[in-house]
Amino acid sequence: MKDTVLRLMRRHGALIVLIVILAAVSTAAPGILRWRAINSLLKDNAPMLVMIVGATLPILLGCLDLSIAAMASLAAVVAAMLAPSLGSASAFVVVAGASVIGGVQGWLIGRLQVPSFVISLGALGIFKGVALYLTGAAMVGIQPGIGVYDLLGGKTAGMSNSFILVMIVAGLFAVMLKFTNLGRNIYAFGANEIAVYISGVRRDWVRSFAFAASAGCAALGGVLMISQTMFASATVAGSLLLPALVGVIVGGTAISGGVGGVLSSLIGGLIAILIRVGVTISGLPPESQDVAFGITILIAVALTTDRAKIGLVK
Amino acid sequence: MTAAFSLEGISKRFGEVTALDNVSLSLVEGEVLGLIGQNGSGKSTIMKVMAGLHQPDSGIIKVGGRVVQLRSPLVAAAAGIGLVHQEQSLIRSLTVAENLFLDKPATSTRAGVYRWNDLRDRAKHQLDKVELDIDPFTPVAELSFGQRQMVELAKVLSLEELVQGHLVILFDEPTAVLNPPEIDALFSQIRRIKHRSSVVFVSHRMDEILTISDRVYVMSDGRNVATRDKDHVNVDELYELMVGKQRVNRKDRKPREAHLGAEAALTLKNVTVPGEIEDISLTLAPGEILGLIGVQGSGAETILRTVFGMADEWSGSIDYFGAPLTIDSPAEAVHKGIGYLPAERKTEGMIRNTSVSENVAITYGWQHGRGGGVISRARERGLIEGWVQKLAIKTPSIGHRIDNLSGGNQQKVVLSKWLFGKTLKFLMLDHPTRGLDPGARSDLFAVIRELADQGLAILLVADTLDEVLNMADSIIVMKDGRVSARIEGVQAAPPSEEDLVKAMV
Repeated sequence: MKDTVLRLMRRHGALIVLIVILAAVSTAAPGILRWRAINSLLKDNAPMLVMIVGATLPILLGCLDLSIAAMASLAAVVAAMLAPSLGSASAFVVVAGASVIGGVQGWLIGRLQVPSFVISLGALGIFKGVALYLTGAAMVGIQPGIGVYDLLGGKTAGMSNSFILVMIVAGLFAVMLKFTNLGRNIYAFGANEIAVYISGVRRDWVRSFAFAASAGCAALGGVLMISQTMFASATVAGSLLLPALVGVIVGGTAISGGVGGVLSSLIGGLIAILIRVGVTISGLPPESQDVAFGITILIAVALTTDRAKIGLVK
Repeated sequence: MTAAFSLEGISKRFGEVTALDNVSLSLVEGEVLGLIGQNGSGKSTIMKVMAGLHQPDSGIIKVGGRVVQLRSPLVAAAAGIGLVHQEQSLIRSLTVAENLFLDKPATSTRAGVYRWNDLRDRAKHQLDKVELDIDPFTPVAELSFGQRQMVELAKVLSLEELVQGHLVILFDEPTAVLNPPEIDALFSQIRRIKHRSSVVFVSHRMDEILTISDRVYVMSDGRNVATRDKDHVNVDELYELMVGKQRVNRKDRKPREAHLGAEAALTLKNVTVPGEIEDISLTLAPGEILGLIGVQGSGAETILRTVFGMADEWSGSIDYFGAPLTIDSPAEAVHKGIGYLPAERKTEGMIRNTSVSENVAITYGWQHGRGGGVISRARERGLIEGWVQKLAIKTPSIGHRIDNLSGGNQQKVVLSKWLFGKTLKFLMLDHPTRGLDPGARSDLFAVIRELADQGLAILLVADTLDEVLNMADSIIVMKDGRVSARIEGVQAAPPSEEDLVKAMV
């Protein structure tokens, strides 16, 4: 009985939580259920959602990429600086470059045998420092009229193009995870890395791909941010790390790896948005957002971690 | 004379397996008992029972004539029983002094604060006993294996001060990592401590047992099959006793007829992995089963892992179907058609928390896909179900979690991962039947034979003698990282079990 309840909660827990929070928030502020409000929330939070999609992949391996928010800020800064000369291409260059850097990060974890959170923490520092150096701690603006940014800031059939892009990216990753050999290897890697290695899977490549996807999505998040605000700064996405990880974990992707998916992470992302809204309408000061995210991630990790696999907690 | 320590009618089961079957053992004061037996004969279990690490299911333990229950290593230590581990029980980053008193009552502290000088003096005293002249504040990581083994001994000998009366010191293969001068030093220590302790000494090496022991105690299949005084030992008889139930029934034996390919599948020349194997040469033809056998740590497993691209550092040459094999990861080995079934099924073989079908399809699933890395679970399903049927894997469905299957069925699932592809040419099996019941074993044997008949080259590290004698076309016996015997034409003219054991220990 307890097992069945637990399994149900594991499988649909995120959806249940989403509905409960939505019910609570909409009781307090019925206006949130209006299409315009929903649309604007999804648009505002599209950068965070796309980061959540990308951050899911390292976590499926049992790794952690702490550099995503710093990467998003750096990408926004570089894209804004390149935009005058490269125009729309700046967005593509930045996303591709970030993916390469992420891939190198993933490769280094295996080569140096250093835990992913350490490598990505180092990367966080580097990205942040480089972004500050490039901007001199000032804001970098872009001019309207650059195709890709205008497009991302616009709407199609009443829906924000940013959010549509998030859905496309999430859909592509979901298909990849379900129907390709790489996807199978990612889940198996998270369940037992050694056995997967001995099965002949190139684990370094799998890890590189996951971190490339994570960094690429983070850069895309940065691009979405400048398309909305028309400016970038070295800390523009700095506050998104915690809510992004909350989204992935609350969605049901176990931090120990092997279980979860990008679509569940999207649900987790919606929960993160509602937590934010909830804090705002409750009249609490904005700083309590981080407190709420902190508490949420603790509870979610405690509920979803597969302790049998870890054995030791460090 | 009364026994200083005795076991009477001890039995211990682990699930299906009987590790100890009504075993009795007694030690008189000041004697060294040499314990000998093959892998899985129950040596380690009996040591663990004596050290309080395992609780027996039945039987009694007496110390100085008094019945005791050794509920934990701490209780055993209070009764004067200490186990000298192989070197891995020391914590490498701590100092020798800290390691010595780690498992003892905290006497070098005052109000919870370490008194370092007191600790140093007491450690020095212990180290003097084993004539180890090192600074007690040296980190263990800086010691040689021989020195670490002496620290292990000193750790146990500190019982001398803590316990009144007679001691029982257990040595669990202490010589495995030592070189000859270090072994001599250890032996003189054992002779020294005999004045107030009895010693049980486990070794895989017959010559060591004969050198140090006053009596030899032989185990086979979880039973004590003989105890001999040093002066009345017949070495050939000991080998014969160690074989035990592994004797092959030669009358009903059905020799395998191998059809060997002309070109060698695998050729090793002078392959050396520092500290593990030395100067290994062998050849293996398609359709041949080559059996490797040796005691634990003899290096047979290392050969497989080196060929599979998992050794960090090795020298020599490996040829694979006529070309040098230059790989440094399992992925490259698999790409060349090499498969490897690891001995550690639970940690290295199966992907836990995952379905049977994903476990089978992990390696070669893409070969049955739609191309471009897109897999087809529909096409895989039929093939996986075919293998489940062929290998008689008992599972409710192929979507079932592998964790919920029995050990034998898990092993068959891991094996079918290699059979699932179209490109396998050479399969290495590391203790494939470990932990399996007899039925599952003979199932697995039949499959392996059939694979060889289909032309696969097979390198098998066997658990038992009857395994190699029944399966292998040729046998290589390993001892201390080297080849100690080669036997060709095993199926036509099988060697005697005693000859194999003699080459192993």
